[in-house]
Amino acid sequence: MRARSAAAAAAVIALVSLVASLAACRGEGPASRTADAAAEVGTVAAPLRDDFGDSVQPSGVSPRTRIVSLNPTTTEVLFAIGAGGRLVGRTRWDAWPDSARLVPDLGDGLRPNVEAVLATRPDLVVLYASADNRAAAERLHAAGVRTLALKIDRIADFRRALLLLGVATGERSRAAAVGDSVAATLGRVRRSTAGLPRPKVFWHVWDSPLITIGAGSYMTELVEIAGGHNVYADLPDPSPTIAMEDLLHRDPDVVLAGPEGARLIAEGAAWRRLRAVRAGRVLVVDTALVGRPSVRLGEAATAIARLLHPGTTP
Amino acid sequence: MRSAHPLLWPLLVVALAAVGVLAIALGAVPLSPGAVIDALAGRGDANTVAIVRGLRLPRVVLAALVGAALGMSGGALQGTLRNALAEPYLLGVSGGAAVGAVLAVSFGASSAGLVPLAAFAGAGGAVMLVLLVARAVGGRADPRLLLMAGVVVGAFANAAIMVALAGAPPNTVRGALWWMMGSVSGADWGTVRWLALYVAIGGGLLLAWARDIDVLALGEDPAAGLGVDVDRAGRRVYLASALLAAATVAAAGLVGFVGLVVPHIVRGAGLRRHRAVLAGGALAGAALVVAADVVARVARPPAELPLGAVTALVGVPFFLAQLRRAAA
Amino acid sequence: MIRFDDAVLRYRGAAAPAVAGVSFEAPAGRVTAIAGPNGSGKSTLVRALLRRLPLERGRIALDGRDALAIPQREFAARVAVVTQREEPAFPLAAREYVALGRYPHGGRWRTDRAADDRAVSAAMERAAVTDLAGRRTDELSGGEWQRLRIARALAQEGGALVLDEPTTFLDVAHEMALFELMDGLARGGMAVLVVSHQLNLVARFADTVVLLHRGVVAAAGAPAEVMQGPILERVYDWPLVVTRDPAVGAPSLVPLRVRRGA
Repeated sequence: MRARSAAAAAAVIALVSLVASLAACRGEGPASRTADAAAEVGTVAAPLRDDFGDSVQPSGVSPRTRIVSLNPTTTEVLFAIGAGGRLVGRTRWDAWPDSARLVPDLGDGLRPNVEAVLATRPDLVVLYASADNRAAAERLHAAGVRTLALKIDRIADFRRALLLLGVATGERSRAAAVGDSVAATLGRVRRSTAGLPRPKVFWHVWDSPLITIGAGSYMTELVEIAGGHNVYADLPDPSPTIAMEDLLHRDPDVVLAGPEGARLIAEGAAWRRLRAVRAGRVLVVDTALVGRPSVRLGEAATAIARLLHPGTTP
Repeated sequence: MRSAHPLLWPLLVVALAAVGVLAIALGAVPLSPGAVIDALAGRGDANTVAIVRGLRLPRVVLAALVGAALGMSGGALQGTLRNALAEPYLLGVSGGAAVGAVLAVSFGASSAGLVPLAAFAGAGGAVMLVLLVARAVGGRADPRLLLMAGVVVGAFANAAIMVALAGAPPNTVRGALWWMMGSVSGADWGTVRWLALYVAIGGGLLLAWARDIDVLALGEDPAAGLGVDVDRAGRRVYLASALLAAATVAAAGLVGFVGLVVPHIVRGAGLRRHRAVLAGGALAGAALVVAADVVARVARPPAELPLGAVTALVGVPFFLAQLRRAAA
Repeated sequence: MIRFDDAVLRYRGAAAPAVAGVSFEAPAGRVTAIAGPNGSGKSTLVRALLRRLPLERGRIALDGRDALAIPQREFAARVAVVTQREEPAFPLAAREYVALGRYPHGGRWRTDRAADDRAVSAAMERAAVTDLAGRRTDELSGGEWQRLRIARALAQEGGALVLDEPTTFLDVAHEMALFELMDGLARGGMAVLVVSHQLNLVARFADTVVLLHRGVVAAAGAPAEVMQGPILERVYDWPLVVTRDPAVGAPSLVPLRVRRGA
């Protein structure tokens, strides 16, 4: 009897450990975005839904409506489509455009301070659609505030966010114009690098643990558009953790890093094992420019193309 | 009473060698045995050589040193403190080191340079604090007082870490958490060298004091009756063990349970005199941590599991066994 | 020969000293017993010998030399102490445990194996525990464990043996055996100092009894001198009579029952 309960306990613990290790670092799965493929084209078919499944309706239509945006991308987009004046709250990380700094800082975008948000008496709150924020969305609904939850990992997500924000604020035409402009720039860059040899690129995000960019991120798409190839494009996660050994094996030609990351690479003796580092091919990108998939995507692609293929003018 | 099997020592050595070989042969990148042997000799693809000689070899050696140090430290402390559940991390080492590391990370230090130094300083400071608290409260560094003071200092350290991380930017939190979960992935020959020095000195001292520990394990009064200056002997074993553990924390972050479990394993195999417990603990601890590192590297490629997570999983069956023994 | 001269011992933070000026001698070849009620300072004297409690005033001498000036290890090679309680944290084989008694004689790294083995075997024989050699220390009965501890003390090969309440867990047979052993060791030339509250046994075996009362010596001398009714009643604060046991001729203490109120 004792042996049986001991075995049962051991089995439970083993099961829990297995589930825990599988669940960790699963990342967020894509939400219900497929239904809005039609919306991408510009037609409003069935009711639009955001990434938490709530319906999107024009609720910030008047210039006097109050919008809180808890995400750097959506803050920037709202300014770009002319709805910046309606913002009554942003996160501490939202610093673009410059005029965004005048909007009151409400703290973090993940697990936001709901009380601070409610204190601004918003009509619409734009959230990042991660599991962390579900609770906040519930509380806002309970207080009678509409939310718009968006997960913006890839360029297509950005275009969709642009559309939905346009619908929500009544600025559909301006949103479309911004979208077209970005698309045009991206197309131009893609064409100008089309025939060029594609360097193998490693995107350095963080040192310990070693984190890079995978297929799930717009940054991989930018690299492709700019005429390069992300060595970790085979990993589906937006920001997977990897091992140094594996990186050595993939042998990138070029390392892209932000200023902080470039400093860590320069200081770390371990990095010199990488051929690209020894050859001095560590290219510094402006993280303010490429750090979020927003209205400056075109500029970001251009900047990366110039780094990867100096001398071309996309 | 059952004596240790005569083949125990060769077995330990073989086990260590076997996991060592496994650890060099396996990794995130699958390599054929021929390629591994070539790379060890310096032949073949430059990247493969870099992987085998520059990445895997130093980390295997570092893992072995960490395991040996923790195995010896745990054995010495359990004997001196007369408590089978004592482990080096209990005495302020883990809490103090984590505070040092978190502070360093939040001030922007990179993992390579300042963080290990800050971790070691934090651990050393906490160890001294535990000693002082025990002396201030009880007048002497009594084993029970040491353990309780260790818990107090540890609790305080945890609170400090939580406060520090609460308002910190995500990168700091991520870096701090990663460090606290333990890893030998950043191993380089420089780290290996200074840790080897520490382990040699600290381990040598503990082995030299092994007979003192045998006597201390009888109790303070009986030990005094046999001629041991109990306060002095206890204090120096405590300091040597704690500083040995602090060195491992500086090199590899928090690798828990090794100091607790390894002495039980070697005592269960029949080793009783502390000279044998310490030496056996060094071999068994080294083998354990190297094996844990293999698991950490191959469980979920290309990512790595934190080393501390794997060793913590080892703690689960251990405590189950202890529970059964206590209930029996 | 162990000698206490006007020793004063105080526990940390205590208002009054536990031992307030005690003098006595435990000569070689004799059994000297220290008796007294709980809290009279008996075990405190042993702790002073173990150097676990600093001597506030007075002197402890070993064979004429200042005991505390002798290095602790050397002292242990000359005086073996069996404490009141002992519980090893980890079980040992019985013979290994006795071998720990050789600690004062060994160097840090090497030790004279042959001499050690001889001493251990002799000690185990003297204490009648040779048949326990392979047993585990945590599987011994109270009596076996006690005798094993004495074997360890004997392995120290000192000229003096100090025992603190050695008969606590022993039955009649083992009690007697233990006192006979102590008597035999004293006849063989050892200085035996035993702290015991077993007054009747002490009366039969001890050459000298030192009776402590609240940290001072209330009486000292041959058992017949010390075991007097008025003295003992005052010290133990309990009505009693001292008779002369007809069977063995030693003074015998008989505590009286308290008369219930009418």
